[in-house]
Amino acid sequence: MQAAPVQAAGETHSDARHPAKGKKKKMSKTERRRIRRDLAFIAPQFILFVTLTIIPFFVAIPFLFTDISQFNDPQINPVGLRNFTAVFTDSSVQADYFPALRRTLVFVVLNYLTVYIFGLSLALLLYEVGFQGGFFTIVYLPLMVSGLAVGYIAVMLFSRETGTANLLLLELGILKEPIDIFSAEGTAFILPLLVGWRYAGYNMAIFLAGLLAIPKETIESAIVDGASYWQRLWRVYFPQMIPSFILATTMCLIGSFAVFDELVAMGALYVNPEAKLLSVLFFTYGFQVERLGMGMTLAVITFLPLVLVGVALQRLQRRLQY
Amino acid sequence: MPTSGGNARLTVTTRRRLLKIFAIVVMVVYTAITLFPFYALFIRSFVPTKESADLHLWLPETEEVSMDAQVGNLSVFYDLDLGVLKDALGVPRTEFFMARTTLRQIAEQYDIPEQEIKDFFAGFYTYNGWKTLLTGKLYGTSFWGALLRTLIVTGVSLTLLIFLSILTGYGLAGLRRRYQMVVFNTYLLQMVIPAMLILLPQFMMIQWFYKLIPAYADEGVVRTVLQLFSIVLINIKGTALSVMIFTAAIGAIPKEIEDSAMIDGASSWQYIRHILIPLLKVPIVSLIVIMLPLIFNQFLEPYVYLDPKNSTLLPFTQSAVGQFSTNFQVIYAAIVASVVPIVLVYLLFRRFFVEGVMSGAVKG
Repeated sequence: MQAAPVQAAGETHSDARHPAKGKKKKMSKTERRRIRRDLAFIAPQFILFVTLTIIPFFVAIPFLFTDISQFNDPQINPVGLRNFTAVFTDSSVQADYFPALRRTLVFVVLNYLTVYIFGLSLALLLYEVGFQGGFFTIVYLPLMVSGLAVGYIAVMLFSRETGTANLLLLELGILKEPIDIFSAEGTAFILPLLVGWRYAGYNMAIFLAGLLAIPKETIESAIVDGASYWQRLWRVYFPQMIPSFILATTMCLIGSFAVFDELVAMGALYVNPEAKLLSVLFFTYGFQVERLGMGMTLAVITFLPLVLVGVALQRLQRRLQY
Repeated sequence: MPTSGGNARLTVTTRRRLLKIFAIVVMVVYTAITLFPFYALFIRSFVPTKESADLHLWLPETEEVSMDAQVGNLSVFYDLDLGVLKDALGVPRTEFFMARTTLRQIAEQYDIPEQEIKDFFAGFYTYNGWKTLLTGKLYGTSFWGALLRTLIVTGVSLTLLIFLSILTGYGLAGLRRRYQMVVFNTYLLQMVIPAMLILLPQFMMIQWFYKLIPAYADEGVVRTVLQLFSIVLINIKGTALSVMIFTAAIGAIPKEIEDSAMIDGASSWQYIRHILIPLLKVPIVSLIVIMLPLIFNQFLEPYVYLDPKNSTLLPFTQSAVGQFSTNFQVIYAAIVASVVPIVLVYLLFRRFFVEGVMSGAVKG
């Protein structure tokens, strides 16, 4: 989840600066110079962006068909489509990939729930009682803290023997057995709660912006007509918040597959195999077990469909917004 | 609701009141749940490792070190440097302490008053984590060095990002909508391409490029600067957000202002420097408050790109955790220390953060 909760704003002003451009006239000399200057201003960052974000994708393609093992591998042999078929034929890859895929999918689903449990309900609450700057500060606080620190905080709270939250809950008699963050269930449930808690402020801002954009008249007329809160929610609020839902979905989907820092903190690289999600798998293949080509191939076949879904969602959202 | 009768109005006010109480309860509980982990983390950075299985909700009292403590345990669990201990007690460095030697045996063997040993260990169990973190060295760097590098990278990245984004916004705002959308859609890809997908080839490309620079191969200033610069490059490449904010803001500035500046003979640079930047304070603050935590808390790229001795704060924290795996105090102290700077900035400037985030969100 890299960017902030803003979407497609750079369009409202469109041609305001060029009122005379509607007709297909030959461009004047100053006009052309102006465009050249504008392009020159766009160029530095655009070149940087394309070089570091788009081109790596194409640089990777030739290596998907080789057995490159590490970054300065002296000998690289072509292997055809072996990396692609390995998912179906190579048992060592299967043993790594499918458990990681399963864990990732479970995480995506649970994490998507937390988007609504935390983000949407907090936004609805703040919308009803009026915007509270102080409370917003608190909700947004975890986002200031790195994923790494949040992960270590979770380990500190829920380690089996030494977790502060475990000790506290046992002392209060709420828990009978301590929660173990390094067990399969522990990791599977604590991780989405953690990520949901961390991004609560972010998701809340998305939904709150969607709520604030609803024309007041529609809500008031629904109240006058005697609609209950529940009816208003489903008939008035949610239909008008669809762009916010799509944005939150896109960010959650991409963010869930890319989650990494929290996993490292929860020991995914060494001690806790239960935290090995796909992102960690790609990292290990690239930097630890010398299967770079395979790692890149797995990353591409996992993420490419995701990127396409993301682009489709973005288009849908913009179409609904304007 | 003009037509509602007295009875209905009462229920409305009661409902309002109930809602308010409910909201306050939820807010208090959520605040408690959010703040408790940070509080617990802070407390735990002072709790002796040997007591970590006990519940501590308050700073533990400082405790004298037991004279029956074995130096081996002290050095394994508390990162006690035996060389430093020998120097402090006046024992020659050539002397050998066995792991199971107790402090009492040392006192007897070298005829050192027990009080002197106790003084050396004053506050040892409680503050040892912080002392080790703030004064120690790890893989050729100290905590302060890592913090300094983080601040430099963050500062340089933010400055360059704002500057480049303003240029992009200025250029884009002047283009026709069709071309605008081409550029803008390209930047939108940033939101859907996960860092993990391009990490491996991106690293590869930057390594190829740096191989062309001979000085990069040797440990030295050039290597350090280049490595930090690669992080900066990744941070300033621009995001959908930065492009959007500035294009919208610059597009909203009346064209007459630019025209009059041009008629007065200003160049594009002068226009940007003296007129545009002062007008763009709000989007600049928005971008800073959104990007600052992302850049300060960057872990993946620095972890991959930087040598351990050049590492920034989070990779340093990670290697501290690896190194002091049995010394919980140092680990928790390192995590507190990595969190404190950004949280301080956040709390000091929280007004800007709330406004910036919400104004960013409202644009959607």
